[in-house]
Amino acid sequence: MKILKVLFSCLLIGAILFFGIKPALAFCGFYVAKADSSLYNQASQVIIARDGDRTVLTMSNDYQGEAEDFAMVVPVPVILEEGQVHIGESEILERLDGFSAPRLVEYFDRDPCEQPRRNRFSTRGIQELESARLPTPQTSAKLGVTVESQFSVGEYDIVLLSATESDGLETWLIENDYQIPEGAKELLQPYIKQDLKFFVAKVNLEEFDSNGFEKLRPISIAYESPKFMLPIRLGMMNAQGDQDLLVYLLSPKGQVELTNYRTVKIPSNTQIPEFVQTEFKDFYQSMFEQSYEQENKQVAFLEYAWDMSSCDPCSAEPLNQEELKDAGVFWLNQPSPNNRWNGNSNVFITRLHVRYNRENFPEDLKFQSTSDRSNFQGRYVIRHPFMGELTCRAGSDYQKSIVKRQETEAQNLARLTGWDIQDIRGKIIFPESKPVPWWRNIWE
Amino acid sequence: MLFKDARVSQIIFLGLFLLLGVSTRDWTVQSNLILVVISSCLIAQWLLSAIVEYAKSRDELTNISSKLNILTSTKVLISLRSALITSLGLCLLLRSNSYQTMMLASFLAISSKFLFRHHNKHFFNPANFGIIAAITLTNDAWVSPGQWGTDWWYLLLFLGLGGVVLKQVGRWDTSIAFLLAYGTLEALRNAWLGWSWDVWQHQFMSGSLLLFALFMLTDPRSIPNSKQGRWIWSLAIAFSTFILQHYFYLSTAIFWSLFIISPLTVLLDMVWTAPRFNWLRSNSRVPSSKLPLTT
Repeated sequence: MKILKVLFSCLLIGAILFFGIKPALAFCGFYVAKADSSLYNQASQVIIARDGDRTVLTMSNDYQGEAEDFAMVVPVPVILEEGQVHIGESEILERLDGFSAPRLVEYFDRDPCEQPRRNRFSTRGIQELESARLPTPQTSAKLGVTVESQFSVGEYDIVLLSATESDGLETWLIENDYQIPEGAKELLQPYIKQDLKFFVAKVNLEEFDSNGFEKLRPISIAYESPKFMLPIRLGMMNAQGDQDLLVYLLSPKGQVELTNYRTVKIPSNTQIPEFVQTEFKDFYQSMFEQSYEQENKQVAFLEYAWDMSSCDPCSAEPLNQEELKDAGVFWLNQPSPNNRWNGNSNVFITRLHVRYNRENFPEDLKFQSTSDRSNFQGRYVIRHPFMGELTCRAGSDYQKSIVKRQETEAQNLARLTGWDIQDIRGKIIFPESKPVPWWRNIWE
Repeated sequence: MLFKDARVSQIIFLGLFLLLGVSTRDWTVQSNLILVVISSCLIAQWLLSAIVEYAKSRDELTNISSKLNILTSTKVLISLRSALITSLGLCLLLRSNSYQTMMLASFLAISSKFLFRHHNKHFFNPANFGIIAAITLTNDAWVSPGQWGTDWWYLLLFLGLGGVVLKQVGRWDTSIAFLLAYGTLEALRNAWLGWSWDVWQHQFMSGSLLLFALFMLTDPRSIPNSKQGRWIWSLAIAFSTFILQHYFYLSTAIFWSLFIISPLTVLLDMVWTAPRFNWLRSNSRVPSSKLPLTT
């Protein structure tokens, strides 16, 4: 209960001190570390900024191979023109990742006989096929494939296709040297039937070399459509096992949630042993895996839901207006009539972590925005016991309470991660009991 | 004797679902909002039915004490059971973080029973009316279709409990008709699109859909009285849900469908007449005319 009281008071304080966050005053604990996307092998990261039907979707490119072999195919609801596609910088994904990642915080116990700190601050692509020369319009018409638009942006050459049947689309892609794997035809068919278009991107090697880019940058597309979804089925085509996806949903209204899968909050606000400080990433991976298995691998996890103008404790600086615009937020200078919030306070971020596979996630993700502005963050707490000289009688009571507390922390850790409780106990440094001698306080 | 009124079992089951949902499905439902909804519904029902009773028997009441006795009369108090069911339905399905929105939804839900009547029967499902009103009139309310997930266990639980309640009430035909029609439409669409069958299965096994079909679509006091009427009505709702979901991309399609199709009840009752359902009718030997007409 004490932790809850502390949390409540720091939420209150956090709300008051929303700009110029001075970590020294962060009562929600001092930030120590975060569990960001670097934890996961080839996690895809997607930013969806949506207000009404208008959407800006940004897709990360984790591609590790040769630029000439890169190609990406994404179903999109409408035909896009050149002005609707933008190439961003990968920093924005790192910023969002850092800002919303689950965090480890620490508290230092004060000397129990009377009356601490440190501050510091510190996340792979949707569809990778092999590529391509330029499309040939003559054969396209016969296959039922129409090249709706074609243009270059930054280091990418982009083609928007519409198709009437998947055989034709598959043939067209193969003829233009996109190597699609087996079974793609069946997966393309539902998207064609739903009247979705295909956004196909590959790297323009001259642009890429001449500008000295070292890695492929994220692609943003802006469009208007009542469909609020993320097609993940195509991405499952050539994958074995589970794939990680981090979706950052930005909205002026509040939390965005999945409508066709259950969302569960990751365990949070739990006290864990001190030694986890050096093993935070392992801890988070094990905990996530454990929660995921307990839910039969059928749910998405909410890792962060917060108004972007503040954070408490902050694992990264809040994003400024420029950065929010880079992330796709397009409503910043237009306060809408039903919005009570003005300025940069009307961006709410929801971070969903979906670990999907073919068996348990047969449907593409569908979202809806809600006006739920309640906050949530993944937060794990370490309390450092007072290590100095204990000169009073209350000192031995304090020692005993520390041992009890450390045992609870060990149990918490075992429960969250599934690690062996004996191993955990072995790593905890239990304080030595140094009883105060009977004669210490006679003449004071 | 208490269990002869099917509403009591419905209250118990809905209460159980709410408890289950809050404790195991990780919902962010605050207990004080639940209390607000329940008390608003009960107070609204109490006051409104007392006013109606007063208006009906105004001439017979001579002094203040007999007028005040209405507030504690059996008829009025028993009607609170329906209000409790409505409030539980709202707690299970409607989400909001604001007291005012929940109070508004509760009040409108109960009032709709008194305002929208034809031949002494209300034709909007009260909880559904409250949900639609809250979603359209305020910015603060929403419905979470994914909140139950698709675990088998819940599927069975819903089916089992729904069946029990419905068998008691005798209106299982609406659920079956709706689920069959909607299931078939979704299956046809799935096949046409070319998805595999697990996609259909996943869509259909939504706990929220089942809760709606088994507990909301079957409120016997507001659905058509005759069997043929009910079948047509359920088919219309299934069809409308399908259209709203796939052509208008509404995640709250089921609630809108029920709302839009509800006035059809009036028409269907005029074409196919049958006695109106009464909660206590089947369990007592008193002729139905002498039974208290509960709202």
